[in-house]
Amino acid sequence: MLGWRITRHAVAILATILLGGLLSATLVRLAPGFDADEQQLDPRLSAESVRTLRESRAQEHSIFRFYLRYINGAMHGELGMSHSLSQPVGTLLRERAPLTLRLVALGLLLSWSVAMAMALTSAWLRVSALDALSTIVTGTFLCIPAAVLALLSVLWNVPGSLAIALIVLPRVYRYWRNLLAKAYSLPHITTARAKGLGELRVLFWHVIPMAAPQLLAVAGVSVSVALGAAIPVEALCGLAGVGQLAWQAALARDLPLLMNITILVTLVTLLAHSGADVIGHMLRSQEI
Amino acid sequence: MIGRPRKLDVMAQIPGKMVLAATACLFVLLGTAGAQGGGELRFCLRTEPKTFDPLKVEDDAAVSIRYLTGGVLLRMNRQTQALEPELAHSWKVSKDGRQITFKLRSGLSFSDGTPFLAEDVAYTVQQLMDPALHSPTGDAFRSGPGTVATKIISSTQIAITFPTPVAGLDRLFDQVPMMSAHSPKKEMAVLGPFMVADYKPGATVLLKRNPNYWKTDAQGRKLPYLDSIRLDIQPNRDVEMLRFRRGELDLINSLDSEYFDKLASTSPQLVHDAGPSLDSEQMWFNQVSKAPIPAYKKNWFRSLGFRRAISEAINRDDLSRIVFRGHAQPAVGPISPANKFWFDSKLHAQAYSSDAALKLLQTEGFRLENGTLKDREGNPVVFSIVTNSGNKYRERMAVLIQEDLRKIGMQVNVVTLDFPSLIERIAQNFDYEAAMLGLTNVDLDPNEQMNVWLSSAENHQWNPQQKAPETAWEAEIDRLMRAQAASADAKKRKESFDTVQEIVVEQAPFIYLINKNALSAISTAVQDASPVILHPQTFWNAERLTVRAAK
Repeated sequence: MLGWRITRHAVAILATILLGGLLSATLVRLAPGFDADEQQLDPRLSAESVRTLRESRAQEHSIFRFYLRYINGAMHGELGMSHSLSQPVGTLLRERAPLTLRLVALGLLLSWSVAMAMALTSAWLRVSALDALSTIVTGTFLCIPAAVLALLSVLWNVPGSLAIALIVLPRVYRYWRNLLAKAYSLPHITTARAKGLGELRVLFWHVIPMAAPQLLAVAGVSVSVALGAAIPVEALCGLAGVGQLAWQAALARDLPLLMNITILVTLVTLLAHSGADVIGHMLRSQEI
Repeated sequence: MIGRPRKLDVMAQIPGKMVLAATACLFVLLGTAGAQGGGELRFCLRTEPKTFDPLKVEDDAAVSIRYLTGGVLLRMNRQTQALEPELAHSWKVSKDGRQITFKLRSGLSFSDGTPFLAEDVAYTVQQLMDPALHSPTGDAFRSGPGTVATKIISSTQIAITFPTPVAGLDRLFDQVPMMSAHSPKKEMAVLGPFMVADYKPGATVLLKRNPNYWKTDAQGRKLPYLDSIRLDIQPNRDVEMLRFRRGELDLINSLDSEYFDKLASTSPQLVHDAGPSLDSEQMWFNQVSKAPIPAYKKNWFRSLGFRRAISEAINRDDLSRIVFRGHAQPAVGPISPANKFWFDSKLHAQAYSSDAALKLLQTEGFRLENGTLKDREGNPVVFSIVTNSGNKYRERMAVLIQEDLRKIGMQVNVVTLDFPSLIERIAQNFDYEAAMLGLTNVDLDPNEQMNVWLSSAENHQWNPQQKAPETAWEAEIDRLMRAQAASADAKKRKESFDTVQEIVVEQAPFIYLINKNALSAISTAVQDASPVILHPQTFWNAERLTVRAAK
């Protein structure tokens, strides 16, 4: 049963990546200014050089041909060349992925820890004033655009991971708080409490196991939120990660780079979702 | 090919017996460096350098690194605008402008110790003129078909012969750093004051003092004084400014006028206005015959009276005063007054007069009806100006121009597009009516603008790639530009280009708006900085700068 679930996820991931890559390539190809290069306006370039510059993107005009060639290259570990940075895409991603992963991981860890602490406190104590305060604080962060939080982190000289944490926190907190509150309101928890079971025992033996699959699902979703937040945070904080690269690639209509980044982000997001689903399934199976 | 220093495994190749001697030398070198104690200069590159190969350089970031690391045969003094000997102690250009002979300084070495000889110059020129290179630096030397010949006369003397005359031949060598024909480090072996020591993609480029740099100061001390230069890659100007204020950076090149004034209000000693730069801002109308715009609009745009009236109706003083807070001058023509030799002093900035503009339009058959200007056929004069989004100065200029032209009954719509979309419109499908952009001049010589002025050129923006000149004045510009390019006589060249400037101002294919001032900010910790208008503004004399350590 678990094997079948993992296989199903693997097939879904592969299909989504292939489709996502094609869609991303098509969108970039259809974007205005797709094959325009700023260098074309350099008056020092000869007519032949300008022509060569234009022809350099000619092989990307047919998107299906380009995509088939890309898949063939990718199977041999060749991800193409970035137009805007004149470097192999594989090298660029290898150099920058660690920073983004570190940034996102720290941001998620921080946001999950704070969100869990706040959600537990809120669901456990059930003090309306505390609940209202948490709602106001997280609601404020929800209203502030990611770019503004990124700029504030630059202004106050705090790490970019904190900005990511503040972007993810309100999105996770509300769901987790509701899930835990719902779990606490179940009849068997009330019975357990009435029978004098300690609060910690109630929490770790009954509440969290009950809500764990859903909590994990929300955590999986928050990975894609954090990855999305990494783009403005890295671009504005001047952090040399994949997010900054994605921003530069989009501005320069850098098809090979943009497509590979889309595929990478899709892969990480799907792995997080699928991982959360599989673990949730395992937990549910144990309960049964 | 991008050379990217990672781990230097040179040590593994040094024979064991030499370790002791090398260590002793190292101590001597470190001692010297310590005694000089020039410190570390820190500033930002606004984009990632695309390459460290000096011959392939095209972007600003790579140009800055090339300036700091590359050793050139001749260097244009950024302050006096005069050409000075560097690796070559003398040079001679033949009368026909096809050949240049250099006499090189002897006993010089690249940063890795490889000796510098005439064969390195020959190797560099051959690499530069490779037809497959397609770099702006190499293309600047291509004046006609044929191959370039190099003749090594001795180890310190070389003659380079071009197939056709190259205008301003000697000045072009200011942009050509010499490469080693034999060094295993390829383009990373340099002759300039600094060398690339580390590169963290997207983050920093660290330059260290070149231990083999040949120059000394008047007291005989080895240059450069600085120990290192740290270049942080930072596209965001707000962040750059913030870091400068925090003392994390030592200088800012091409400072925005808004930031300049903010900084000037609190720390006037940090900001420098060197006066009008070579860069200009201009607008032009689409005169391409196949452009997908209505025929009556094409008739307006091709009408000399219409273009001149627009030029007269724009208040350039306001653009300078309001948009650039006074840190810009009304532009005169294709060449900025900052270009001491090539500027035509007979020309003056167009005076503003909406009444005169309206009268001129009336002579062309336009009439004002209920505040709306209409052409002979009754079409209201409505057009759009496209410019690049994100450039607040251009956006503000467009708004002021919109307001100026409203006074003579024209309705102007301002459209901002991101750069790729804008380039597609102005250079590929010609789907635009008027455009506003800037021209950044790197070289003083007008030959650099050949691909702007020739009617057949790709960058002849208002009507590019003409098979034959469509107007008599464009044919005359073609003739004059070719004549100046074929001549080695600076006086004759100047006469020809003066006439080109006068024709351009008269015909107004480009309506020149302003020349921005060269603004910069320099920390008080930096000693001996004297910002100039030419690139690289603040660090043109990097080899003589020092940075006081923070207390």
